[in-house]
Amino acid sequence: MSTETVTFNLNDRDITVPKGTTVMEAAHKHNVYIPHFCWHPGLSIAGVCRFCLVKVDNRPKLEIACNLQATPGMKVSTLLPEVKEAHKWALEFHLVNHPLDCPICDQAGECKLQDFYMEVGKYKSEMDRPKVLKPKALDVGSELVLDTERCILCDRCVRFEQEVTKTGALGIFNRGDRAVVGTYPDKKIEHNYQDNLVDICPVGAFTSRDFRFKQRVWFLKDQPAVCPGCSTGCHVKVYGKPQVRTYFRVKPQESEVNGHWMCDVGRKTYKHLNQDQRLRFAVAADGKGGRQRVSVAEAIASLALQLQGVAASDIALLVSPQYTCEEYDALFAFFVKKLGVSKVFQWREPTENLDAFDGLLYRGDHNPNTFGLSEALAKAGLPKDVKNGFEDLARSGAKVVVALAPEIEFQFPSLAGQLQKLSELAFVSVWTTSGSAYNVKGLRHLVPLKGFAEKKGTFRNFQGKVGELAKPFPAAVDEAKDVVEVVTALAEVWAHA
Amino acid sequence: MATGIIKVAPPPEDKNLFQMAYGYASTIFSGMWKTLTIFLKQITGREKTNTLEWPEQPATYSDRFKGKHFLTRRDDGQVRCTACFLCATACPAECIHIVAGQHPTNEIEKFPVRFEIDILRCVFCGFCEEACPVDAIRLGPEYAMAGAAGDKWVYTKDYLADRGQLHGGVVSVKEENTKHFTVDHEASGDNLLATDAPHMRHH
Repeated sequence: MSTETVTFNLNDRDITVPKGTTVMEAAHKHNVYIPHFCWHPGLSIAGVCRFCLVKVDNRPKLEIACNLQATPGMKVSTLLPEVKEAHKWALEFHLVNHPLDCPICDQAGECKLQDFYMEVGKYKSEMDRPKVLKPKALDVGSELVLDTERCILCDRCVRFEQEVTKTGALGIFNRGDRAVVGTYPDKKIEHNYQDNLVDICPVGAFTSRDFRFKQRVWFLKDQPAVCPGCSTGCHVKVYGKPQVRTYFRVKPQESEVNGHWMCDVGRKTYKHLNQDQRLRFAVAADGKGGRQRVSVAEAIASLALQLQGVAASDIALLVSPQYTCEEYDALFAFFVKKLGVSKVFQWREPTENLDAFDGLLYRGDHNPNTFGLSEALAKAGLPKDVKNGFEDLARSGAKVVVALAPEIEFQFPSLAGQLQKLSELAFVSVWTTSGSAYNVKGLRHLVPLKGFAEKKGTFRNFQGKVGELAKPFPAAVDEAKDVVEVVTALAEVWAHA
Repeated sequence: MATGIIKVAPPPEDKNLFQMAYGYASTIFSGMWKTLTIFLKQITGREKTNTLEWPEQPATYSDRFKGKHFLTRRDDGQVRCTACFLCATACPAECIHIVAGQHPTNEIEKFPVRFEIDILRCVFCGFCEEACPVDAIRLGPEYAMAGAAGDKWVYTKDYLADRGQLHGGVVSVKEENTKHFTVDHEASGDNLLATDAPHMRHH
């Protein structure tokens, strides 16, 4: 890339950008908003929506900012009345055949058409012909519903299919006001990045099948997080409704790690956070061979009692690489440094293929913090090899086992069998977010944990890049604690015993 | 003179309150005479009483009264509501709970699987009625809503659309948006333009 720069004037402000930058890119970088539909920072330039019109000094007509390269001394304005007037008429054209079924459209609330309508809409249509009706609610992919009537033909989705996933399943067919977006005959959108089409669609043409009709978006609150689905560690936003403690969806957040996209597997990582999937209370043995519901403090006290009853060499840790670096540090500080435990095993899916990679984002290592666990193990003076230690645990003959269960269970098909095997050991305490451990009757000591969107901490992705969980939601389960809190409480009980 | 005080009548110079000139005693007696004559007229049947013996005698308010909510229906009898959540959004008491779903027939895309009003929280402001884009919810003339502690205070969708007092339901004045569900867009040709979609245009 050349290092030559260009200085031009945007809204009476001098801006210096690399040569070849378009006015739209420069404005985007300098937080000047130019209304647009078809331009997307992650896709090529199409220039089909004609909405990003700006006024350039000494040029007779308005020009589109997305395909206008900045040249030295150029004077660009986005604020003139004639620019606003042009937006008004461009919007009127986009609305000529738009059905305005906002009441039943999931995009309502985050729809560009709605936003611009509130800004520059004419409120009184000058169109006297009936709207052209087009096919609605089409099944175009396992995650998608397509409504061609709502489409404004910006062709972002077509470019996404061609440029990002390179599957090319979508096209625009017919001409004029009969033009519709759709899949080629006998083709469906079949890849792991379908929901990105929902994100980039500026209107409600593509809507998510998973989120369909679940909730209106204006009720949702979003918090930044890191996707726990694989070791890529995409930066995401988790959307939930804290009043009812329910999570509804996960969307990507622009970052260096993942660009603008994320995969459909990662978007399912909100489901296990909802109450119906969660372990809602702590469980401990009742002394009669059964188990009972107890408070977390009581569960920790009974665990401390067990730990005191055996030598350090009889204690083992089974740790999933799905917890934060801070949690590992706290865990190893207590168990390894203080108690002198040396049997620490990694709890990994036996069938995983660590080197698998789909070429875009999704990796075969389905744990968000393999790197962080290795680092924490090395820091604690233990072997840092990435290997599944479940069989080693069975051979180790440990009498008391503390197991930090994997959080994302749909990527861990062996989990049910392994929990069953664990329940046959003398004493095992499973710390988990999920209710599945409760269904294994033999497990008599369970501690409820917070999910990834409910705690602070860091994940380190496959390259060691830090992804921060900075703003947690309130936990969907009252009694849930994160590992740091549980270990701190355990250390306190230990100190007073 | 202190500001902010307006004198409405001069104080009586003579403190004798029974003086006819000031009207204290005279109005009391004339009022009692009125009461007595009306009582005698009505007890002898010479004049109609204005008091209703509710609840034995029914009393009705006009249709514009903002009383108990009801849901309107489509021409074919289905609930008109499209589950757009605008009433729930506008509701200041947060008493409307909707669960939306995909209708089994493709003619209607979105419909309320559940539509519940927690009537104890409702403040009868009528915002839901105003917010509704399809005239699906209205506040009706029913006003008798008292009940015992054990009664059901959450009105369900069936109750709101179908209770006996509605006499089979009320049809919405907003008709269905014209829709086109055939995937075969080549065959439709010019018929598309002939189809009239009379409302839901932006206006």
